[in-house]
Amino acid sequence: MSRTLLTGNGAAAWGARLAQVDYIPAFPITPQTEIIETLAQWIDTERMDSRLVTLESEHSMITAAGGAAATGVRVFSATSSQGLLYAMEMLYTVAGWRTPFVLVNVSRGLAAPITLEADHNDVMAARDCGFLQLHCANCQEVLDNTLIAYRLAEDERVRLPVIVNLDGFYLSFTREPVVIPAAEQAAAFVGPFNPSSIHFRASAPESQAVAVLGGAPYSYFRYELHLAAQNALPVYDEISAEFRTRFGRDYPAVDSYCAGDAELVFVMLGSFATKARAAVDRLREAGWAIGLVQPRLLRPFPEQPLQQLLAGKRGVAVIDQNLSMGKGGVLHTELAAALYGHPDAPPVLASFIGGLGGRDISDEEFFEIARVLQAAVDTGQTPPPRLLYTQDELMEIRKLQAIAHVERKELGGTA
Amino acid sequence: MTQTATTFRRMKDLPSTHLLGTGTPMCAGCGGLEALHQIYDVLGEKTVFVNAAGCMTLLSVYPFTPFRGSWLYTAMASAPAGAQGIRDALDILREKKGLPPEEDLEVVVLTGDGAAYGMGLSATSGAMERDLDFIYICYDNEGYGNTGQQYSGATPHAARTATSKGAHGFAGYKKDLFSIWAAHRPTYVATVIGAEPLDLARKIETARDLEGPRLIIALAPCPTGWDYDPRESVAIGKLAVRTGVWPLKEYRDGRIQHTRVPRERVPVEEYLKKQGRFAHLFEPERDETLLQELQAKVDAYWDSVEVQGG
Amino acid sequence: MYRIRFHGRGGQGMKTASRILGSAFFEAGYEVQDAPRYGAERRGAPIFAYVRAAREPINERGIIQRPDLVIVADDTLVAVPAAGVLAGVSARSVLLINSRDAAEVWRHRLNIDGPIVTLPVNTGVEDRAELPWIGASCAGAAARLVGVLPRQALVHAIETELGGLGDDVVGHNLENALAAWELMAPQYGLASEGGEPRAQEYQRPDWADLAFETARISAPTIYAAANSVEVRTGLWRTLRPVIDYSRCNRCWWVCSTFCPDGAISVDKDGQPRIDYDHCKGCMVCVAQCPPHAIAAVPEHQAQAEEAQPADIPGDPP
Repeated sequence: MSRTLLTGNGAAAWGARLAQVDYIPAFPITPQTEIIETLAQWIDTERMDSRLVTLESEHSMITAAGGAAATGVRVFSATSSQGLLYAMEMLYTVAGWRTPFVLVNVSRGLAAPITLEADHNDVMAARDCGFLQLHCANCQEVLDNTLIAYRLAEDERVRLPVIVNLDGFYLSFTREPVVIPAAEQAAAFVGPFNPSSIHFRASAPESQAVAVLGGAPYSYFRYELHLAAQNALPVYDEISAEFRTRFGRDYPAVDSYCAGDAELVFVMLGSFATKARAAVDRLREAGWAIGLVQPRLLRPFPEQPLQQLLAGKRGVAVIDQNLSMGKGGVLHTELAAALYGHPDAPPVLASFIGGLGGRDISDEEFFEIARVLQAAVDTGQTPPPRLLYTQDELMEIRKLQAIAHVERKELGGTA
Repeated sequence: MTQTATTFRRMKDLPSTHLLGTGTPMCAGCGGLEALHQIYDVLGEKTVFVNAAGCMTLLSVYPFTPFRGSWLYTAMASAPAGAQGIRDALDILREKKGLPPEEDLEVVVLTGDGAAYGMGLSATSGAMERDLDFIYICYDNEGYGNTGQQYSGATPHAARTATSKGAHGFAGYKKDLFSIWAAHRPTYVATVIGAEPLDLARKIETARDLEGPRLIIALAPCPTGWDYDPRESVAIGKLAVRTGVWPLKEYRDGRIQHTRVPRERVPVEEYLKKQGRFAHLFEPERDETLLQELQAKVDAYWDSVEVQGG
Repeated sequence: MYRIRFHGRGGQGMKTASRILGSAFFEAGYEVQDAPRYGAERRGAPIFAYVRAAREPINERGIIQRPDLVIVADDTLVAVPAAGVLAGVSARSVLLINSRDAAEVWRHRLNIDGPIVTLPVNTGVEDRAELPWIGASCAGAAARLVGVLPRQALVHAIETELGGLGDDVVGHNLENALAAWELMAPQYGLASEGGEPRAQEYQRPDWADLAFETARISAPTIYAAANSVEVRTGLWRTLRPVIDYSRCNRCWWVCSTFCPDGAISVDKDGQPRIDYDHCKGCMVCVAQCPPHAIAAVPEHQAQAEEAQPADIPGDPP
């Protein structure tokens, strides 16, 4: 099968093209812009039969996306970071409309301070809005997940919008070999758009997204949103099995690497999970019984596969590329909730925060995380959450602070 | 300017039965609902109304709707963007998927002044610059009415609102949304009021028969927010026109034309004194300075209109 | 704990009534909760407010389900199911109705066993939406009915709650509240504190196991046209516009076009017809009719006349 070098952004654009999307409301934001530029170029050169409209904000972009999906066409959109948050009101809103479309989010840290590089706080902030979330570890997954996402969103047993998440820079601007499925093969998998119950037509008046009065009707609609999102788990398994049959690539809801006989496990989302995979290889060479567990779905949260994959492990290190201020890592919190009370739950569930705003996580840090985890297992004492940061990095920020005329006497010990 | 032949030549040409369903939770005497039901009679049921947060969000409360056509509630800031998505999708369905023309819909944005003059202005500007084929109806009751009439960008000078209760009322001035919209050079902009139904019907008819961005501001006398007996709604609306406070005009082909020029304008205070929100201009004693200022603003407007040849 | 509910129409001052009573209890050393309940409803639509008062800190919250005392500011609301006036009323709940009809008439009409008291104030007012100072009257009557509040607590409460509106407003409210207080002297202490719910025996909530339903069913979408006509907003009306067809000049557009709700249509003979199921009683048609052919009739009077159909004046020929 022939492979082509594609950036993550290019792979996302290919996903939209192969899904034969009808409509693309857009708004530029780094590091996502290449996606809409690519699509615009394809449309302008008639390689793609679609309509791209640049709105005046992401808030309007998601409104237009929902409006178009509610009228009955297949919609694609993409954003990142501040844009995702600017659209946040509408993410909740259009999910409540039950409009199925796909939004690619290119993860990037949030202001303040403003930055361009990747972490997951943006997409975690959209955790509770009703969009499903698929997280990508490489550029191939970006393309494949986009196709899978349309199937998931449009399935009668779900009917919810889906976010496909890829990390800024690490995937968005990074080329990797990607298999681009043949257009007919992709079309056969995704199928034509089924507007189902939603459409605005003169012959069939519909009032969509109307207000409710009182907590009881409100609760019904919100509970059903949740039940639809939960339904997406078995539906995802079905769709990914079909994808494997058609394309030969396997995407279980939770991926794992060397986890079967492992006593210690890393848990990570997104592109940095491949770094954890490399660290597992090195640690295995050093004699460690260690593995990786990597959720692909964050919503719905695949509790049961996680419980099964982590059952009987002695220690788990969750490495979060996000930070809930005053609490800690979001994935750590969610995993703790999923494991609590299970008889085979690992006794040690340690939390590490790293990779914020594009900050790398080095091989040595993975090795050290393994060492800390083993020590915790040996002592039975779970360590406090560790914010990954080195003395060298602290020295560097001290230099910057000095240039910024931060009062020298107020700076801590290492200045 | 070419004048479209109108089916509304006399009052007797106005519809005698009405399309918009009764039973809505709008206040008794609502000037916005009065304008809307007249507008709906002209636009008809082959429409999808795209609504932003405001009083009229409550027109459709599950499981009831007064619309014979369709409706989508969006959010306060982005109803024109919702209209964009629907219009584009209908075009795509027409072009690619064989949607028959009789299934097509006119896309109509419906917002209050809070969204139109403030939070949604950027989305409206964007829709106009993209030459979106839509109609925008703003019911302007000059304040955030649905939350209890706090001042908005549409509140007139000196009006008392829930957030301008001081001795002199609202210190700011009503934003000139008509001019802001017209500066985008859309297809059509007009002001209307439910109390002048013939003028309203002709303008909605004009808008209906054109394409591109067509935007309408309906002054909406509000018994609840303006503090007057609901029975006065139409009387106050007529006074808004006869005093010159609410100029009835339209923008088309780069020109502004006044459709009703009150030759002998009634003093502005006749309009003000009917409304509790201006009571402090008359009691406990007349605020001559403010009354003169308000009259002078209206006079200056009409002086400039006459200079331009209206 | 005392659990007290005030029912009225938007604009009749039920929030003020609940605050006056709440303040009076507070003044008398009670722990208090008072709150209005807002919905989408507007002026003239049924609304309610409530007060809890107890000697101990109050942990209960939300709408009062089992009231000790229900005050109805506008007797036309009793028959309106949506107003929920009788919700949770038991044999020990006191019902206080502002009405010209006697308590016995109401007992017969409602067929309930509990104590009913009427408060005949403002009975001469035609438009019940304009009942002046009715909030104060209701608060004053309620304060006396509970029997544990000194007169001075009521006076202080009114001064506290309404002081910002000027001496004139305070004076009128005091006058009306104290008049109602005096009227209720014979029923002093009629309303008593209700007990607490029992955990030893209770009716188990019948929880449903919600199942997934397709988006067609479970999205907040209405697949209907103009079904709002099923909502009878005519219940908001306190004044009724009545057309004298002998004076109607069949201009046939004025009332029909100006009616904000579109509740007036014109039949094929050019006669305007008012849809009383939906007319909210704004009286715009009365104000605008060129030959003054539409009269504003108090709703209770119009209903009484309807009961004797032979007497309806100006019936269309």
